[in-house]
Order: sequence, then C-alpha cells, then structure tokens
Amino acid sequence: MPDTTETTNRFDALVIGGGIAGAEAALNLANMGFSVVIVEKDLSLGGKMIHLSKVFPTLDCSACITTPKISETARHPNIKIFTYSEVHDIKKLGENRFTAQIHKKPRYVKEDECTGCEACEKVCPVIVEDQFQFDLVGRKVAYIPFSIANPRVAAIDIENCILCGACEKACLAEAIDFTQEMEIIPIEIKAVVVATGYHLIDPVKLPNYGYSKFKNVVTAMQMERQLVPTRPFNTVLRPKDGKMPENIAYVLCAGSRDETVGNPICSQICCMYSIKQAQLIMGALPMADVTIYYLHIRAFGKGFNEFYLQAKSMGVDFVKGKVAKITEKENGNLIVRYEDVYKGKVKETEHDLVVLANGILANDGISEMFDGVKLETDPFHYVKQIDELANPTRTSIPGVFVAGAASGPMDIPDSILSAGAASSETASYIRRLS
Amino acid sequence: MSKTINIIKEKRQVTEMAKQRRKTYADIRKQLLQALEEEGKTIPELATSTGLPIEDVTYYLMTMRKFGDVVTGSVDDDDAYFYYELKKK
Ligand code: SF4
Ligand code: SF4
Repeated sequence: MPDTTETTNRFDALVIGGGIAGAEAALNLANMGFSVVIVEKDLSLGGKMIHLSKVFPTLDCSACITTPKISETARHPNIKIFTYSEVHDIKKLGENRFTAQIHKKPRYVKEDECTGCEACEKVCPVIVEDQFQFDLVGRKVAYIPFSIANPRVAAIDIENCILCGACEKACLAEAIDFTQEMEIIPIEIKAVVVATGYHLIDPVKLPNYGYSKFKNVVTAMQMERQLVPTRPFNTVLRPKDGKMPENIAYVLCAGSRDETVGNPICSQICCMYSIKQAQLIMGALPMADVTIYYLHIRAFGKGFNEFYLQAKSMGVDFVKGKVAKITEKENGNLIVRYEDVYKGKVKETEHDLVVLANGILANDGISEMFDGVKLETDPFHYVKQIDELANPTRTSIPGVFVAGAASGPMDIPDSILSAGAASSETASYIRRLS
Repeated sequence: MSKTINIIKEKRQVTEMAKQRRKTYADIRKQLLQALEEEGKTIPELATSTGLPIEDVTYYLMTMRKFGDVVTGSVDDDDAYFYYELKKK
C-alpha cells in the first residue's frame, strides 16, 4: 500500500533496471497501489527493447509496444524514476526493510527545465560515436540520447566536452547546468526487484571474425538499428563504403555455446532475431541474398518454427556449419570459412556483409550492490533462482526478487511474464510484512 | 545570468582527445561540404575527391546527414551506391 510515512525517500519497492522487465514489474506494483522507485543506469528508460525494429515471431513494431508502456511508467503517480543512476549499498535492516543509496550522476542538464528542443545539440561542435546507433554514426557531446528517449532530456558527455559554452548560450530554457555534481540519495524500501537484464558479448573477443578490423562485419544490434525507421543510414548499407549489400551472411552462436569464450550456454534469442532480421532485410533489399550459418536452429517458442519455415520459404539460405574464420578482400567483401556439416567439408564463400549474432552474458556487478547480505548467482553469473520450479522469481535474499533476463537468457514475452510473476511475488511479500 | 560553464572551466581540464575530435569533425565536414558543392557524389566518389579513407567518409557523411547538412539523392546505375547532396537551406 502507498507508504504514508513522512519522508519522501521511503518506498514499498525498489526496481533496479528500467528496461521492459523493470517497467512491467514497476507498473504492476504501482497499479496495485504500492509506491515504487525505479533506478536506471542509462539516460533513458526502455532498455534494449526500445532500440529494436520488430519483435519475433509476430513482426510487431518494437517501439510501438515499448513506448506506451514506458510513458505509462514515467507518468504513474506511484512511481519515482531515477535515470543515469546506480544503486549501491543495499542493506537489510532487520527482517522487513532494506536501505540503499542511489547515486545520481550529473547529466549537466536540469531535467525539469529541458524542453528537448535540440538547440544545444545543433551548436555543439564535437562529435563522438553514437552509442544508441551502435557507433555507426556520430552524436554530439551535448545530445538528446535518441528521438524516443524517456525522459527526452539532453545530456552533456563531459569527458568529451571542450567546455566551449556554446550549448549553454544556445539554451533558451536555461537548462544547462555545469555545476551539477553526483547526488547521493538514501532510500528505504520493503522489497527489491532486480531487473538488470543482460549485456551483449563484445565481438572483439572473437578475433577470428574480424569485428572492428573489418568494417563490413557488424553486430546484430548494428543491423537492428539499420532496420528501424530512425536508422543511421538511409537504408541498409555497408559501414565501410556505403554500398547496398547484395549477399549478407549471418553467423549464429557468435560467442554462445562456446567454452573458448567462457560462455558455454545458448543465448536463446539469436536464432530467432537473426531469422527476423533476414526477413526484414528481404523487405528492405528485395534483391539481396541472405545466408544463415547455424549449428542448430532453436525454434522452441510459440510460432517460432513456423517463423523459421516462413524465412526458408522466402528464400533465406540456411547452411549448417560452424564458421571458423572471416577474412577481408580488398573491395571490402568478406570470405567466410566454415565447416559444412552435412557435406563434411571445409568451404569458403564470399559475402559483402557479415552479421554476427553475438550472444548474451549476465550483467555482472549485481551482487556487489548488496552489502552484508549475499545475492547468490548461478555458475554463469546470472541471479540465482533458488526455487526455479515452484517460485522462479525468488532469490537467496528474502524480499529480493528477480525479473526478466537478470536470471538467464530469455526473450521479450518470457521477460514480461517473469516480471509479472516477480511483481506478484513482491506484492504478496510486502502484504505479508504488514 | 552568469554562465555555469565558467565555473566548470576552473575545475576541469579539456582532454587532448576532445580537442582532436572537434578538429577532425570540423576538417572532414568542411572537406565533404566543399566536395559536394558542385554536384551530388557517391561515397566512393567522395573518397576519391577528398583523399579521405572511405570508412571515414561513410561515418562522417552519415553523421552530417543526421544533422541535416546532407540529403540522400538517387541511386547509381548499378543500384549499388546512393548519391548524397547538400541540403538546400
Ligand atoms: S538543454 Fe536546453 S537547448 Fe538542450 S534540448 Fe534541453 S532545452 Fe533545448
Ligand atoms: S560546452 Fe561542451 S557540450 Fe556544450 S557545446 Fe561546447 S563542447 Fe558541446
């Protein structure tokens, strides 16, 4: 129930992570009347999902699902949000309460004053890689993170700022404030939902595939951005020379099911997002050929196998083979060397763009947020579900629940389902306290 | 109102990397704007006329497109490369 104590820093629940799982859990709790604080490390809510083109296997627009939920979360009277913030020192206080500290980093822009007009961005003279376009283009040092960011508020990337002052001069709302410093906000809560998601494997750690050395080897997220309406290029193009690709290869299990990179498990989403992208590419570039090199196609979810068959019938070429190495030709084309499992032969095929379906890893550092109580993790560093069958959202700390991919690789519907379960468990836990 | 930039200037040093980034963008932007003055060009044509590495042309040209300096024109006869033109102001 809403906390009626006098201090504003008391909430029923802390939700760590403002992606789709965190937003779902927070909204459910808030709709039940609980007060919730969300702490998101990034400048915007929405996590990974807000950057995707479409979802599999329905091909619904991802942003069209994410943005209404995120706006509802941001507007909810029972939810307080801290973006660009981290949680530290979560301590258990007796049986029923936790204390924690929110470290709110300075964005050098007053959130309440900024109108999102972009005037600062226009005049800023410095360009750095745009992390929200996965480095395919640049962004300014004074910048709105991305067009559908929530909050749609500018930030100053102080490390790359030349302190020219042009942004502050241009800001009619007087929102820019270079005197901002880190704020530490103590909070008290009754329960915690860990919804910290996952991170993508850095493909630089897969040297055989030449990512970063060969500009026409891209990650699946770089391709994903090329397929959204707010894409970095005018259509799907090669990052090296802006050529429209005609013959695109996907390398599945890039860093998943691979002991050599320390990630022996299946990432669960790469087969299906690659099949989705292959279909979208065929729509965007009707003349292009798409080949998917795979070990096994894991189409285990509802409608997944039909989605796979649909891609096949559209002409996507599925080749069962482990890609061993990628090399670059002078014209930027790539030679993919692989073992054709059915033919028992090592082969080489030329493509003009290669997409690495890089898998996912646990977000580490979650356990370090806790002090004096141990949040256990599994052998792959995901939050350990101590009762996986009967109560999959319970963790090793009573009152701390896990939602979404913080507990292991999972797709969007499963993350939302898991967040629903986590919010129900959290609600009944808080009710039992009173 | 006095500007807060003057306060931070007393506390922070600007990095050499940040200064270099500003200079690189200004230089490359100027070269690309000049190269496009007469007529639209494809990325390989821009790389030839400016002498810049082709991946740098793609990156900075697409950044300039994002910030409204440049627009996409038609595709070439081989359906391989687009022409990029200066945005009419
Ligand atoms: S900081 Fe100022 S100039 Fe920049 S977007 Fe916000 S209101 Fe506009
Ligand atoms: S002060 Fe920094 S952020 Fe502002 S315009 Fe200059 S370089 Fe950009």
